[in-house]
Amino acid sequence: MIYIYGIIDSNGQIDESVYGLEGSNVYNIPYCDIGAVVSEVNQPIRRVTESVVLEHEAVAEKLMENFTVLPVRLLTVLDKRENVLSMMDDYYGDFKDNMDRLRGKVEFGVKVIWPADKVKSRIINAYRTRNQNVHVSDDSVERKFIRDKLKEHKIDKAFKEKADRCINAIDIFLGKFAEAKKLETLRTENLLLSAVYLVRKDNQNNFKEAFEHIRTARDDLKYLFSGPWPPYHFVIVPRKSQPSGDSGHTVTADKVILQPTPMGADKA
Amino acid sequence: MDSVITKSKNVTLLEILDRVLDKGVVISGDIVISVADVDLIYLGLKVLLSSVETMERLRDGPLVGPMQEST
Repeated sequence: MIYIYGIIDSNGQIDESVYGLEGSNVYNIPYCDIGAVVSEVNQPIRRVTESVVLEHEAVAEKLMENFTVLPVRLLTVLDKRENVLSMMDDYYGDFKDNMDRLRGKVEFGVKVIWPADKVKSRIINAYRTRNQNVHVSDDSVERKFIRDKLKEHKIDKAFKEKADRCINAIDIFLGKFAEAKKLETLRTENLLLSAVYLVRKDNQNNFKEAFEHIRTARDDLKYLFSGPWPPYHFVIVPRKSQPSGDSGHTVTADKVILQPTPMGADKA
Repeated sequence: MDSVITKSKNVTLLEILDRVLDKGVVISGDIVISVADVDLIYLGLKVLLSSVETMERLRDGPLVGPMQEST
């Protein structure tokens, strides 16, 4: 079986020093002017261990040094070389479009955590201060219910507006050095921002410096900064319907056991 | 600045999982992940993505800057 790590903008052979899962030899299967970087595996990987994840990622990063790489999702296995070529034929146009768009670019991740409890508490206090002199003439249960709901709504709205202002202040600065971005606000109350930025390789030092500037200026927030990564979040490949019968491309593990592993693994 | 950049490579497994499990080129269907004997249909890793705060606890202390280790 053939395990696929990524698609590269080269049909030539790759550096012999690149090793894949369990130390397997990694090689390029050329198709026209691009190639699928693969290694041989005995069977579909059914147990995701830390080493599988790191080995897969290590290949993608090694490829990133010398090629435009479209990383392929973990655990993508095809049963034979012919099916790799068939897959490449199906997706060739998509792969080329992505390579043209992503050439010379890398991805950075930025997560920002804020003290949601404190922020909300300040908003509630401000609300109370503003309304402490408001006289309530009708204190029926219905009116009280409506007032409480309105208060809740106003506090939530103020919380989200504050989050948006804070994110804008960060994003305006980082966005100047990015070619594209994807932002997610308040995935949880504490996770203020989860963002990925696509940055030109020749601009990544500027991006890092911009981040460092923000980190220094807003030391009341906590940050998780990672990269450079292959541009995982910016690859756009539409899923095609699976061929029927035995011509199916993929031998996907139908069930994967995610093995608990210690956190804090080195990426390198 | 160099030290920050060097340490930023020291990312957690979670950040990698965030990427390798459903980003990039996806040419196969969804996979089912089993965590602690509970099957979860994988639909974008939402289960794990809310775990930055958990990660903070696991790292035995507050996050200090861009993936830096406390020094």
